[in-house]
Order: sequence, then C-alpha cells, then structure tokens
Amino acid sequence: MVNGKLEQNKQQKPVSLLSKALITGFIGGVFWSFIGAIASYFNFTSVSPASFILRFWLHTGWSDGWLGQLVSIVIIGVLSTILALVYYVLLKNTQGIWPSALFGVALWFVVFYLLQPIFPNVEHMTKLTSDTIVTTFCLYLLYGIFIGYSISYEYQSNLISENV
Amino acid sequence: MKKKKIKQPISTKIKENQEFMKTKLGVGTSFDVGFRELTILNKGVQLYYLTGLCDTAIIVQLLRNIVSLNDKEKTSYKVAEKIEGELIHQQVTKVKTMDEGVDQLLSGLIVIFIEGEEEALVVDVRSYPGRSPKEPDTEKVVRGSRDGYTENIIENTALTRRRVRDERLRHEIIQVGERSKTDICISYLQDVADPGLLDVIKNELKNIEIDGISMADKTVEEYLVKQGISPFPLVRYTERPDVASSHLFEGHILVMVDTSPSMIIMPTTYFHHVQHAEEYRESPTVGTFIRWVRFIGIFASIFLLPMWLLMVMQPELLPEKLQFIGPNEVGNIPIVFQLLAADIGIEFLRMAAIHTPTPLSTAMGLIAAVLIGQIAIDVGLFSAEVILYVAISAIGSFATPSYELSIANKISRVILIIVTSLFGLKGMVIGFTLYVLLLVLTRSMNTPYLWPFIPFNGKAMVQILFRVSVPLTKSRPSIVHPRNNNRQP
Repeated sequence: MVNGKLEQNKQQKPVSLLSKALITGFIGGVFWSFIGAIASYFNFTSVSPASFILRFWLHTGWSDGWLGQLVSIVIIGVLSTILALVYYVLLKNTQGIWPSALFGVALWFVVFYLLQPIFPNVEHMTKLTSDTIVTTFCLYLLYGIFIGYSISYEYQSNLISENV
Repeated sequence: MKKKKIKQPISTKIKENQEFMKTKLGVGTSFDVGFRELTILNKGVQLYYLTGLCDTAIIVQLLRNIVSLNDKEKTSYKVAEKIEGELIHQQVTKVKTMDEGVDQLLSGLIVIFIEGEEEALVVDVRSYPGRSPKEPDTEKVVRGSRDGYTENIIENTALTRRRVRDERLRHEIIQVGERSKTDICISYLQDVADPGLLDVIKNELKNIEIDGISMADKTVEEYLVKQGISPFPLVRYTERPDVASSHLFEGHILVMVDTSPSMIIMPTTYFHHVQHAEEYRESPTVGTFIRWVRFIGIFASIFLLPMWLLMVMQPELLPEKLQFIGPNEVGNIPIVFQLLAADIGIEFLRMAAIHTPTPLSTAMGLIAAVLIGQIAIDVGLFSAEVILYVAISAIGSFATPSYELSIANKISRVILIIVTSLFGLKGMVIGFTLYVLLLVLTRSMNTPYLWPFIPFNGKAMVQILFRVSVPLTKSRPSIVHPRNNNRQP
C-alpha cells in the first residue's frame, strides 16, 4: 500500500493539456459572451455577441432576439477554442495573470480596431460610447485572464507534478 | 530564533526541588498549585498538582496505592520502582528536568518527586472543564450527526478519529506560545496530503513567537496566511467533525488549536466557502438545487444593490420589459444614502443580535424589521423599494454558509455601491472587474483563490456547480495536490 508504484496509487490518466485548454476556451467563450449578452440586454454596451457573429450579415428579426444571442454565444464558444489554441501554442509558458490580461486587452484592440471594418453594424472605436468601451474592455480583460491564466496555470502545475 | 533556556535538572535532594517549585512556580503563593508531601518507606515523596484540572478521584486512588507500600514493603530498596509500580494508570511518564515537569504540571498532570531520584514521575490525570459535543450553531443540518467539536483538543482528535479509523491518519502535536503553551494539532492523511504544504504549515507554526494565543485558531490563521487588507477569508473553518473528516479524505490538512472548537481547513479557495454540509445530506438533485439557490443568494448579496442603484440613476439602461423597476417616489434623501443607511441599519441589527440574549433578540428583530422599516417609509425617510432590495441582499448574506465570506462580500457590496454612485455605469463595471481581479490575485497558501473558476478546471467546476453523487466522485480535487489521487481504492 505504501509503495507509490502500485497501480492503484497511480494518478488517473489525465486529460491532455491541449484538450483541457480547448475546453477552457469553449467554456470561457460561452461564459463571458453570456455575460456580454446580459450586459447588452441592460444596455451597458451597444454591441452584443450577436453584433459580431450574426447581425453584420443577417438582418432577420430572430438574430436580434434571444435566439440570435444564444446562437452567437455558442459560435463564440467555438471560435474561442481557436484563441485558446493560439494561447496554448504561443504563451503557455508565461506566469501570473498579467500576460493573460494583456492578451485580453490585445484581443479587444484586434476586434474593435483591426476587425472593425468587417462589421458595418459596429461603429468605429472612436464613435462608440464610453460606456460601451469600458464594458467591452473589462469583459475582454476578464476573458483574457480566464483563458490565459487557466492555460498557463494548468501548464505550470503539470510541469511541477512531472518534476516531483 | 528562540533563546534556548538552560534546563534545570531534577535534583536528588527533594528540598532543592521544593525550593525551585516555590520560587519559579509560586507554590504557596498561587493558590491553584497545590502539593502534598508523604513519606514512603522512609523516603520523602512530593506530589504537585493543579487544582481544577485534575481528576481528584484518580489521584486519591493512586495515593492510596502508594501509601499502602508502607504496610506491604519492609525495605526502602528501589523505592522509585515500587512507587511507579503502584501508579495504576496507563499514562505514566518520567521527566528529567524541572522545566519539563513544570510544563506538564501546568497542563494538569501530577508530578511526583521522590527523594534520591533524578527523575520525576508524571501521571496524566487531566480532566478539563468543558462542554460535551453539541451541534455547532453556525453549521446546522436537518439530518446528520449532531456532534460538534469542543474546546478540548483531545476530544476533538477523538471525534475525528471516530470517523477516520485509518492507521495513516496523523495527529501531530506541537506547543505554541511562550506563556500560553497552547497545543496545536496538525491532522492529515499521511499518504494523501501534500508534503510540501505540510512542511510549510509546520514551519510557520514552529516559527510563531508570541506570548500566548488566547484567540486560538484566528491568531494561528494570521500567522499561516498573509491576509493583508483583503477581507476575504483565506482558510475555511468548520466545527463539524463530518465536514472536517471529509476534507481529510479529500487530502486537505486540518489544524486544530486547543481551546477552540473551530478547525482550520487548508488549502482553501473561495468556493470552499459557498458549500455546506446540508447539500451532502440530501439527494444530489436536491443538493444541487439548494446550492444554486445559495449561489443566487450570494450573488444577490453582492451585486443586487449596486445594480439596482445604477438602474435608478440611469433608468434609460433598463430594458423595456423591466421599466417598472425604480422607485415610484424618490423620497427626500438620495437613493445611495438610503441604501447605505439601510445597509448599516441591518448591520446594527446583526451585531446587536450577536450579543443580545436569545429571548430579547427575537423581540428586537421584530421591532427592527417591522417597525423601523415601516416607519422609515411612512415618514418619508426611505422609499419602499430600498427596504425591499436591502432586505433581499441581507438575506443573501445570511444564506452564505461562511460567516466570514458573507461579511467580506458585504464590504465589497458597500464599496460597489459607492463607486456606482460616484461613476455610474463605469464605476459599476470597473468595480465588478476589480472584484474579480482581486479574487484572482488572492492566494491562500499558494493556492489560487478563485480556483476552479479562474484558473479554470472543468472537473472541479462541475463538482462546484452540481452536487455530484459520492460514488461518481472518483478522484480527489487536484488543488490539494494529493499524493494519491484515487478516492476509491
């Protein structure tokens, strides 16, 4: 029993780091875009998850309702796995929460500045209300921390447990 | 480092020992230290005891046995061994120095000096004043065991051992406090608990240099974790042996401090504070339901008031279907002051209820809740909606299983209300972000506080969101870094 090499004392075959990262990405996308949808319901921001996913090419009635938000949230979840993959490949070595916070901030700039021309329904960064900017900025920051910190923490603790 | 005291050895001359006890311990001055001198087989024998902490019946029996030696034996050959043989008790030890003897004596053991001997006999006849195990007021369950930890560390280890009859359960005891010499017990499963964390805890405990820790567990906690100005509780307390043992099985480490019925559970995260034994006494579905209702309560206790305040300040934010929200009459005082005043009023009530005798506090609760609220509305001080929302968020606080967390959340709520009133929507959003950031940055014994939410851990998050049935819980939570991950061998 005391012998650590016995099979029952072995750790269960762990879910691979990569799939953990992808799950984190999906959950993070769904959760924070859900918060975003609530924020837009309460008019905290003029943009909602649906504005980025559906509204710029779909102008049907449902896409502006809750169904549109729901579909967008799921799609953002899927897109978010790609972001998680990017973070996993490039930045998993980082430590602490600040690199991931910067990642979130950078993502905000990419979406609202670089990709903005794709979305005719989203106004240019300078024309958005300050409320919208603050709210989306905070959401992206928290999203970045959620994705990035989770991935790097998981990676670091895996390193530690392998070294032991 | 602690100064090493030169320890005085026990003298073979019994008068010297008596002199030491007189000067160092104040025998004769302190009335609670007593002594009795006997002559056994022509040798002087002195027995020291502490009144109040010893069981007199046992001492009398032991004395009777020793004195009977005078009738049974003729020679004074090997008196010490004969006396030891007559001490019919399972816990008899020998000490070589006066200081050890004094330490033991002050714990309630009796010390017997025998003329011509360099060792004193110590018998554990302790009987501490204390209550019997009783259900803790703060962690009641509808069904389940009704015993709770007491102020007696020996009883507490026994209550744990009753539930964990594992030969690998370790109860390590150390003494802390130069003057108080309080016993602290570290309990853990030897083959499960994280040895790194164990070393850290032991080291921190050994390095405590203080006169005494009369506030027991709380003082120890402050030495163990770096609290800073953060109001959030960094360790979980429990007074329930079943909760403590289930944490032991998970791989947590328990720190028991004598004179306190609250056990410290480590490592701890935010989500340890939102669980309750009651959930595990119900079917998984019901447990999950209770837990979700509790989550809603906790969430409301933090965010309901700032959110409502924001909607009052900026009604244009309200979606069309919720336009009815907002006070019909604004009243004579700004809403934010009404909220803060009502919140502080409830805090008055809570504090007053803690140190008011129960029969009076029921009456006080009625006066406060019904009369003050209604009259405040009637005289135009408060608007009715303020009372409603403050009451909901106060009930949310009470639904928080951890008392410490509920107060920390209350402080967060007040700060959120203030920043919302100052900066409106931006204040609220940034305040929310900072609240999350603060929790993410908090670490308790090197454990991320908001785990398993941030950093995210799917398996553990499922355990938080749903009360998963025990047979399906196959592995230990990874946050405790268990040496043995398997819960079902």
